[in-house]
Order: sequence, then structure tokens, then C-alpha cells
Amino acid sequence: MTAATEPSTVDGASTGPGVRISDLTVAYRTPAGELPAVSGINLELAPGSITGLVGESGSGKSTMALAMLNAVQQPGRITGGVIEIDGLGDVLSLSPKQIRAARGGSIGYVFQAAQNSLNPLKTVGKQLLDLGRSHGVEDKRALVRQAKELLSRMGLSGERVLDSYQHELSGGMRQRVGIMLALVLNAHVLVLDEPTTALDMISQANILSIIKDVHAEHGLTTLVVTHDIGVVAEVADRVAVMYGGRLVEQGPTVDVLRAPSHPYTRGLITAIPRLTGDPDVAQPLPGRPPTLGTIPRQGCVFRERCAVYAAGAREDCETVDPPAYDIGAERLVACHVVEEER
Amino acid sequence: MSGDIEGVGIVKTYKARGDVLAGQTVHALRGVDFRIPAGGAASFIGESGCGKTTLGRILAGLETYDSGRLSVDGVDLSGLRPKKREPYFRRIQMIHQDPYSALNPTRTVDAILTDPLTLRAKQTGRPKSWIAERQREVLSLVGLEPDYVLPRYPHQLSGGMRQRVVIARALTVDPDALVADEAVSMIDVSLRLGILKLLRELRETVGVSVLFITHDVATARYIGADGELYVIYRGEIVEHGPTETVIADPVHPYTQCLLSAIPVLHGLERPGPDRLTPTEPLADSQSDDGCLFAARCPFATDRCRTERPQLGHEGGTEQEHSCFHPARRHVVAVSA
Repeated sequence: MTAATEPSTVDGASTGPGVRISDLTVAYRTPAGELPAVSGINLELAPGSITGLVGESGSGKSTMALAMLNAVQQPGRITGGVIEIDGLGDVLSLSPKQIRAARGGSIGYVFQAAQNSLNPLKTVGKQLLDLGRSHGVEDKRALVRQAKELLSRMGLSGERVLDSYQHELSGGMRQRVGIMLALVLNAHVLVLDEPTTALDMISQANILSIIKDVHAEHGLTTLVVTHDIGVVAEVADRVAVMYGGRLVEQGPTVDVLRAPSHPYTRGLITAIPRLTGDPDVAQPLPGRPPTLGTIPRQGCVFRERCAVYAAGAREDCETVDPPAYDIGAERLVACHVVEEER
Repeated sequence: MSGDIEGVGIVKTYKARGDVLAGQTVHALRGVDFRIPAGGAASFIGESGCGKTTLGRILAGLETYDSGRLSVDGVDLSGLRPKKREPYFRRIQMIHQDPYSALNPTRTVDAILTDPLTLRAKQTGRPKSWIAERQREVLSLVGLEPDYVLPRYPHQLSGGMRQRVVIARALTVDPDALVADEAVSMIDVSLRLGILKLLRELRETVGVSVLFITHDVATARYIGADGELYVIYRGEIVEHGPTETVIADPVHPYTQCLLSAIPVLHGLERPGPDRLTPTEPLADSQSDDGCLFAARCPFATDRCRTERPQLGHEGGTEQEHSCFHPARRHVVAVSA
């Protein structure tokens, strides 16, 4: 089911570019001082891969996705790091003009609740032309043709959709319009923020298969940001788990799901109710996700909810923020205990 | 404990407004039968727009119905005057989807719980001192620390805690049934199971029945594996039976599509061999003739397009279904 990691065609041109995020830190100004929502993240998106970024509300996943466009809003500020995209350079040091061209140009972004990110006063077609104008597209006919092709590829009638206002489209259709607008200018990097939230299961399955197909056909490098491990399991080759502004675990999706290492990942997977087997196998995770103000300043951010820490408190969990240890097989885990027991 | 709730042939139609659909009749429910035994669990699953939310609202008394019979403890509510009907709807309380908008942001949890309790104290002739006592009792029931939450405003609580306050508020009036409409979809994933577990436990500790409305079959199973599952499509029940039977052995293609759509946890699970997807998306223009699902069904025949199937046990199935061609298909993911 998972899309192939290898390039979709032999010539390198149609494979998505590689993306390397190093040491990314984003802080928000609050009455209590500047607090990091994303701190010291290292993540590499392999060319042509789909990476799933999983986290709960407040984990910093949306902030991180916005940082990919250098579009973090005030009072947030990218305080350090590099986001390097092949063929584009460091997103964070592009000039304002270059970054405007990159947004919606080579980096496509489908916003959280794409359902509500369309202008209710303009038809989809008008918004498409606006997009073309702001990116200096000369050939409007080709743009419309491209849009119609994308829409029909996703099972919609291009004519009808372009003539529609957003209220005339269902949630799943609006989500597809969002994907069309992100890709119509030939983006190579696609970021989808919660692409299936607020959709029912059948529409979700439909959108996920569209994402996989479009990803393969257009030769993209895709980042899917979601709170739902199920979504990641369906589409992503690799998964990165975020908690309290840090990446606590990353690795190939199948391996991480089969044998999660970090106690948080383990807890998340155990908390999913399943359709087969004993329903009581599912167990809730104790505690609640931290907010910007309650993220521990020192030591491991997860320790207050950690079953391993609860079973036997360790000093380094309280004092040292665990770095991402390489545990082999392309997997990284930020946990002292996992590293030590290895 | 009393509180059997039964619906027979519930019909609800809406007149569409606006330019596009003006004057058209929207069939939200087309004669739905169901029964929730006291302390039991029933789940309604289906896509957006299939009528499951309308049904929940009718049960909670927030919406009227055109025809049919809704009875609590065998008393038909349809014929009663509003004043007489009121006490019955007290016994069915709604847990809304969004705990952020279900609580008044300008009132503390204390105030939020005091109002219904004052009313309840008056109705049952209890002294004022009972109110504070009961406040603490319901909060402990839902797993909250009374001293922590009582003086706080909703915005000072997490989503999970807020949903627990909503549940506590519903419990203040001693309901027989809770109607939970997508009660966990706005809650953080690591906290979701906690809320589901609470609803499940309340069935035992308080004896309330739970009517669970969702598009997520796995959560429905978690709450009421021992209950009944109703699959509803375009206002009609297309499959109904014991939850475990319908999930393990679905025979209606629509149920099979719903179950197939649940993400497979690759690494832990393999997709079911007969995974099914509808041939077309749900559209307003789809015909009302014959089987309502025919337009999207991969197995539809001419008979399906002209004749409306009825709920029954055709093919000797344990569960009821409305399909002319029931067939067992293995669509649910299997453990790897």
C-alpha cells in the first residue's frame, strides 16, 4: 500500500527534491518570555518520499510546517536553523521576493482545514487566476488546463468545480481543490497540514489514496502533518513523532508501528482502539499534552507522562534533554533509557 | 433501572432553502427503527450527511420528527403535550462534539454545574446543601479533581478536561441515556481513549445507556462491543446487529465500504483481502429509486436500481440488513 520510496521515473528530473531541516528552533513571545514551540529539530525528507509528522495539539507540528514556508506568524519567530531544499537553497535566507515566489510555486501548501481556507466570495476559478497573477503566470489558458487536468485526476469535474463557490462543494471536494491549488504551479515539495481532519472515513480514505497517487505521478517530496497515526500508517514511508516541540522518534513507518521505541510513540499506538482482538488492549495515555508554558525547561519533555520514568525515576531524565540517538535501521529515538538498554 | 428507549419508523424531512436546492425535500431520516435497552449501548455509524446527527438531536429533544413513534419506558412521546414531554427529555442528555463551544466561556465550572443542580434539587425536594455535595460527586465520577476544576473557567482546562465537564454537566440531572455525537473527534489523540473509557465505565457505575454517533467504527466498538450497531445510509438503516457480528461479518456492501476505509496500521496489520471502495462519492443527485446505495455499489444489479430492499435476514444472517445480494467479504484489516 505504501507508495514506493524509489524515484517514480528513471530520469532524476521527476523525483522530488531532498529537504534537510537542521537545528530548527521557533520561539513564541509570551508574557513569560520567549518560549520555544519547536526546538532543535533535525529532519531529513528523502527525495521522493512521503514523511508523516505526527503530534498532538501544541506539539509544534503546525508551527514546523509553516516554518517550511518561512511563514511563522507573529508573535512567533524562527530563532535558528536551516531548511535546505534542493534547487532552492535555504528557505530561511531567501529574499522576500524569492520566498513569495517559492510559496505556492515550488513549495505547495495545503492548509489545515483547507475546507475553510478558500475565499467564500470568489469562485474557485477566480482564485486560481489570482494565484496565477501573483506568480506572474503568462499563459492563463495553460494554467486553467492544468487545473482541470489535476481536478479530473482527482475525480472531479474541472468545469464545474472552477465555476463553483466554496459553499457549493463538499468537504472532500474542497480538500481536493486545496491540493489542486498547491500543485497547479508545479510544486515539487508538498506540505499538507491535517489533510483529512473533519472528513468522514470514506472521504478520508479517498483523499489519502489521491495524495499517494498525485505524489507518485508528480514526483513530489511530501510532508503530511497530522495527529492521526492511522493517516500516517496509510500514506507515509517514514514517520516522525513530535512531542513538546521535539522530535522524539523517527524511522520507517512500518518498523516504527511494529516496534515503537519511544515510550510516547508506544503510548500513542496502544491508545488506538482496534477493530479486531480484545478491545481492552487499548489503554489511555496518562496525563495531558503540555502547552507552551508547561513544557519542562530541563530534562526530557515527556517524563511526566512516561511509563518508564514512572516505573523508576532516573536522574538524567530530569536534567538532560535526550538527543536523538541513532538506534540503527534508519531510526532515531530521543530517550535515555532506550539508548542505554540498547 | 428504567429507561428503555425505542424508536419506530422515525421520519424527518427538511425543506431545502437557498437558490440551488430551493423547494427540494431532503430526507434526513426515512423511517428508522431502533431500541436502546436501559444501561445498554447502541452505535450509529455512517458518512457525513447520512442522518445520524439528526437522529441524535431528535432523541435529545432538540429536533422534532415528522412521523413515527419515539418512546421512553413504553410511553409514546409523540402524543404528549410539551409540558408532559419535558421530563422524558431530561432523561436523555447530549454530549456535543465540540467541548470548546458547549461550555459558556464566561462562567466557572462551579456555576456551570450549579444551575442544573439547583433545578434538580427543586424537582426532587432536596436541600441546598445537596448541591455542593453532588457537584463533587459528579466531578469525581468523570475523573476530575473537584478542588482544581470548580473555580476554573473552561479556557483554563484542556480539551479532554472540558469534555469531562460536559459529561459531568449531563450527569447532574440523573439521565438514563447519554447521546454522544462524535464526542471525541475534537479531543487530542492521547486523551481520546480516556474519554471513551469514561463513557464505557459510566454504563456500569451510573447505569446510563450510551448512544454513540460516529463515523469511526473502532471507537464505537470500544464503547459498546456488547451493544448494537446500526449502519445508517441516506436516512435509512442498511445493516443492524450485535456490534461484534456486524464488524466481523458485515454483509451489506455499504458497511463493507465503511469498514474498508479505516486506515490500516501497516506493520501491525495487513489490509483485509476484500477491501472495498464505493464506485462514486455521495451526491445529492443520486436516485431515490431502488436501493439507495445502488449508484455507488460495485455489485448493483438491475433489480437493485428498481426495487427497494427491506431490512431482513435474507441469506440467513444473524444481523438484519437490506441488501438483495448479501455476501460475506473480509474487509477489516487482519493482525500481521
